[in-house]
Amino acid sequence: MTTVATLQYSHTLGFMANQGRGFNNPVDLAIDSEGMIFVLNRAGPEVGVRIAYKRITRCTSDEQYLGEFGAGGTGDGGLWWPSSLAFDREDRLYVADEALNRISVFGRDGGYLGKWGAGGAGAGQFNRPSSIVFDRDDNLLVADSLNHRVQRYTKEGQLLHQWGEYGDGDGQFNLPWGIALDAGGNVYVSDWRNDRIQKFDADGGHLASFGSSGKGDGQFSRPSGLAVDGQGNIIVADWGNERVQMLDGNGAFLASFRGESQDSLWAQDYFSANPDEAAARRSASLEPEIEHRPEYDSHRGYEWERSANVEKLFWGPTSVKIGPDGLVYVVDSLRHRIQIYRPGQ
Amino acid sequence: MANAELALMAHLIRRAGFGATRDELETCVEQGYEATVEQLLHPELAPVLDEDLLRRYHVDQNSLMLIESSQAYWLYRIINTQRPLEEKMALFWHSLFATAYGKLNHAKAVVNQTNTFRRCGLGDFRNLLLELSRDPAMIFWLDNKDNHKDAPNENYGRELLELFSMGIGNYTEDDVKACARAFTGWTIANADYMSIRASRDSIWPHGRLDWQFQYLPEDHDDTDKTFLGHTGPFNGEDVIDIICRQPATAWFVASRLYGFFVSDNPNEASIQYLADRFVETDGDIRQVMRALFLSDFFRGDEARLAKVKSPTEIVAGTARLAGSHQFPDWSIVNLAMDVSFMGQEILNPPTVEGWHTGREWIDTGNLVERVNASSLEMGNLGQPGVQAALRRVRAAGDALAPEQLVDACLEAVGQFEVAQATRESLVSHAAKDGVLEFGERGSADCAESRIAELLQLIVATREYQLA
Repeated sequence: MTTVATLQYSHTLGFMANQGRGFNNPVDLAIDSEGMIFVLNRAGPEVGVRIAYKRITRCTSDEQYLGEFGAGGTGDGGLWWPSSLAFDREDRLYVADEALNRISVFGRDGGYLGKWGAGGAGAGQFNRPSSIVFDRDDNLLVADSLNHRVQRYTKEGQLLHQWGEYGDGDGQFNLPWGIALDAGGNVYVSDWRNDRIQKFDADGGHLASFGSSGKGDGQFSRPSGLAVDGQGNIIVADWGNERVQMLDGNGAFLASFRGESQDSLWAQDYFSANPDEAAARRSASLEPEIEHRPEYDSHRGYEWERSANVEKLFWGPTSVKIGPDGLVYVVDSLRHRIQIYRPGQ
Repeated sequence: MANAELALMAHLIRRAGFGATRDELETCVEQGYEATVEQLLHPELAPVLDEDLLRRYHVDQNSLMLIESSQAYWLYRIINTQRPLEEKMALFWHSLFATAYGKLNHAKAVVNQTNTFRRCGLGDFRNLLLELSRDPAMIFWLDNKDNHKDAPNENYGRELLELFSMGIGNYTEDDVKACARAFTGWTIANADYMSIRASRDSIWPHGRLDWQFQYLPEDHDDTDKTFLGHTGPFNGEDVIDIICRQPATAWFVASRLYGFFVSDNPNEASIQYLADRFVETDGDIRQVMRALFLSDFFRGDEARLAKVKSPTEIVAGTARLAGSHQFPDWSIVNLAMDVSFMGQEILNPPTVEGWHTGREWIDTGNLVERVNASSLEMGNLGQPGVQAALRRVRAAGDALAPEQLVDACLEAVGQFEVAQATRESLVSHAAKDGVLEFGERGSADCAESRIAELLQLIVATREYQLA
């Protein structure tokens, strides 16, 4: 009997908080060598007190809050449109920023170590770097979105290699967003506006493309972050369809997930302290019937509206990461939380 | 191309949209006035704004949870839309059916309402009132969720008659009571939970939850009601039917359209003309708007520059002229805050009566804000619209005397109607540096900065404050 890989919802990490224990529009996370989780809060808009809500939160997968560091700003160590996190082998944390067009480097204790990168379209420059990942040689791969390319840098910021250009052919990109590696060092890129995933060898040689535009199984609408599990399955945040899809290593559809979040421990604490709100919530239907109004189709789509109404669903998932224990972390950015799944069959 | 034609087109696009560049004006003049009106009246034929990029880069504008983010979002739409009248109608109905974030603590709910205005704003007025009565933001704003069979709340029923359809003096207090009873049971889903969240501004645990309309037949008063001389077991739809047949409603809508699109100074005959079209077409707003834009009173001299631009019009119009904010960029929120600083917090009007318009847009504080914000935008030589204006002035000749320079600059930005005193002031300023020379005899940088300075002065003129 053939078993098909899938995912099973485990629990939720998170709670909306402008500062302290919780998240504010998280867009990515990274896990250090000791299993500590670092969540990147992009927050926004970039005005007044809200600038301070940008930060990196440290916690564990079992919902222990361990602190935060970083702050909104454009000076050294500042975050403005932070987009992606990655740890190198020495547990240094690299943070890409799409507004500042730079990579900032922090210690796992949050200490600022340095920065590199510059805006532009030339070799060694970025135009809104949207996702970063370290390869097997501890070099940094960058999805350079508005330049429609992938770049490989040393940890010090020296350009080693790049591939890609604007287009929809093999090896071409239209505003790529996510980037990930498999165990063999192959590179996967979510080719955002082409609604597909492209697979490359470690040198950027095109190997395959998966998916097309649409809402069906194996189709995508503006895919964002992605990850590859230990079995070679590809897990994609299908951002425009407000779901996560799982494909096998050949790109064949395995499963789709719309989200099934339940209250995190931090949320439970909130309701314990606010029993009247908790009581009103218990008597409410958290999955109200959603009228399919005509303007939804000309606006952002019915699924986006459903996610705005039904709290358990993914809303704007931006990133997928896989922990050393095999747990799958989906950054559910508009709901300020991480939905965590276990591999299953 | 005659300046008179361009001036008329500039007038049309300022009113039916948010202004146009000189290139856009020429395209419109080539296709003709009537054809341009028809194009404006059918926004559904133009592409929808692609919001994916906006949502990707502005994560806060994806959820539209915060008021600043939602204001920035609407401003971006206004600047970049290819459906200018759709946005203008949305702003008109938002100004008339004023619903504010301040009480709701739910920005997306107000945005949802404006989406309804986009879809229905050029359609049947009866349908628009029906959609408005089912709109969750409106239900929350005017307490219709608290309007029960056994305990009516008259707030929505009263404002529907007074501020949204007929105007005071055209109904009795008993009509208000009957109207309110007809709308009992029109509420939102999970009203208790949503009310407690709104009252404490709860964003927990995971941000805002959207609102949905819900009709509760068990909470509806289905007994007979007498409303505006008619008696029956009226529900909300029946009441709206009766309202839409009233001459007072035709006059009310016509007068508001006239005030928003034609002039700050009411004209009874022109309003009656629009009211007659409303009656003839059973409240078809598209047909009323067609009659308005094609009328002599709209095209004539009296309507030219007869309105003070709202803050949204002046900020969005200048951005469109300068060609700025055409791609998602974090600074759009600052532009939206400029609109607020000038006295128009879109999505958050001060009261259910909306904004006080006309000359009340201008006071000493916000006039400075209007001038500074516009000048800042037009002084940015890196903006494509400013560059296009520079090229037009450059094409006017290798050497421009002060008067020629001023005229070339005015025409480059489509500002064809300025008072003689204004023109003389501009010429006087331009004359300080003498003839503007391009090419080998003059410095290109110096010429560009002189032109940019004049463009900044033009958007600081009295005429630029007017639509």
